[in-house]
Amino acid sequence: MWVWFSKLGSPKWFYELSGKWLPWLIAAMVIFMTIGLVWGLVFLPPDYQQGFTSRILIVHVAVAGTSLAFFPLMLVAGTITLVWRMKLADMVAKHAAILGAWFSFITLATGSLWGSVMWGTWWEWTDSRLVSMLFQLFLLLGVISLRSALEDSETAAKACALLSIVGCINVVVIKYSVEWWNTLHQVASPVSLDPSSPNGPQFWIATLIMIVAVYLFLSVSLILSTRNEILERERRSQWVQDLVMKS
Amino acid sequence: MLDAIQFSSWAEFFDMGGYGFNVWSVYALFAILIAVNLILPWRKKQRIVRQLKRRLTLDAEIQSEDDSNGE
Repeated sequence: MWVWFSKLGSPKWFYELSGKWLPWLIAAMVIFMTIGLVWGLVFLPPDYQQGFTSRILIVHVAVAGTSLAFFPLMLVAGTITLVWRMKLADMVAKHAAILGAWFSFITLATGSLWGSVMWGTWWEWTDSRLVSMLFQLFLLLGVISLRSALEDSETAAKACALLSIVGCINVVVIKYSVEWWNTLHQVASPVSLDPSSPNGPQFWIATLIMIVAVYLFLSVSLILSTRNEILERERRSQWVQDLVMKS
Repeated sequence: MLDAIQFSSWAEFFDMGGYGFNVWSVYALFAILIAVNLILPWRKKQRIVRQLKRRLTLDAEIQSEDDSNGE
């Protein structure tokens, strides 16, 4: 276990292993993404109340749900960085913050595009779900700017881990906000197996496929960025130079 | 399967039951999210490898010139 753990922390080992995983992850991502998009745009029937705006929701729910994974991921990575001095975990945390900010922004934008026709408003300051998601975006932008402002990587890792704790608490607030303060944003629809039901399988299976597709995309993007970071930080090491000269 | 297609014309497909702007904007944003976060890291890798390769080749040339001067 410990041999495996310290190996995993080695950038070279991660680079080689992720190089083997990447083609499979990319293939799976393309398959799920294609099924999800074709289903969502061509086959998904209109909702009896929302019409075709239900097609917005399969994307919105997949991106929004996945955006909640970033702060927990950054907290785990931050802890590993500080406790076991693993450089690799710090690289993952750095790029997770950037990707997480993208996810949060797209969540807010797609939500607005749905709300503008279904709620009749683009934004509502009194809704807890909307405001806590906006807070997550600002927190992530804070983490990104903190990292670029702090020269010392140790201090940066500590500050970001601290903000990740706040971010994780906020993730819980986002998750339960619709139940704690029932204002504008609706709660998740109950899942039904009955095809004739408005919440029937055609909606939630399409959403599920999109969620898998989005998680695969998250992994691919994060691995690509982390591999770049490894190449840059390890550019003086022999294995990187050999790799570059061979390519 | 073809029966399940919800549209009978391209115009209907783009219109999305009157919600065309909102639906297509969402899918466009989604496409941007994916494209940007896959293409940028991919292009960055090309750049890193290209620059490092150039530097290493340059270093190797300087090294071999020094060696030949030394003789």
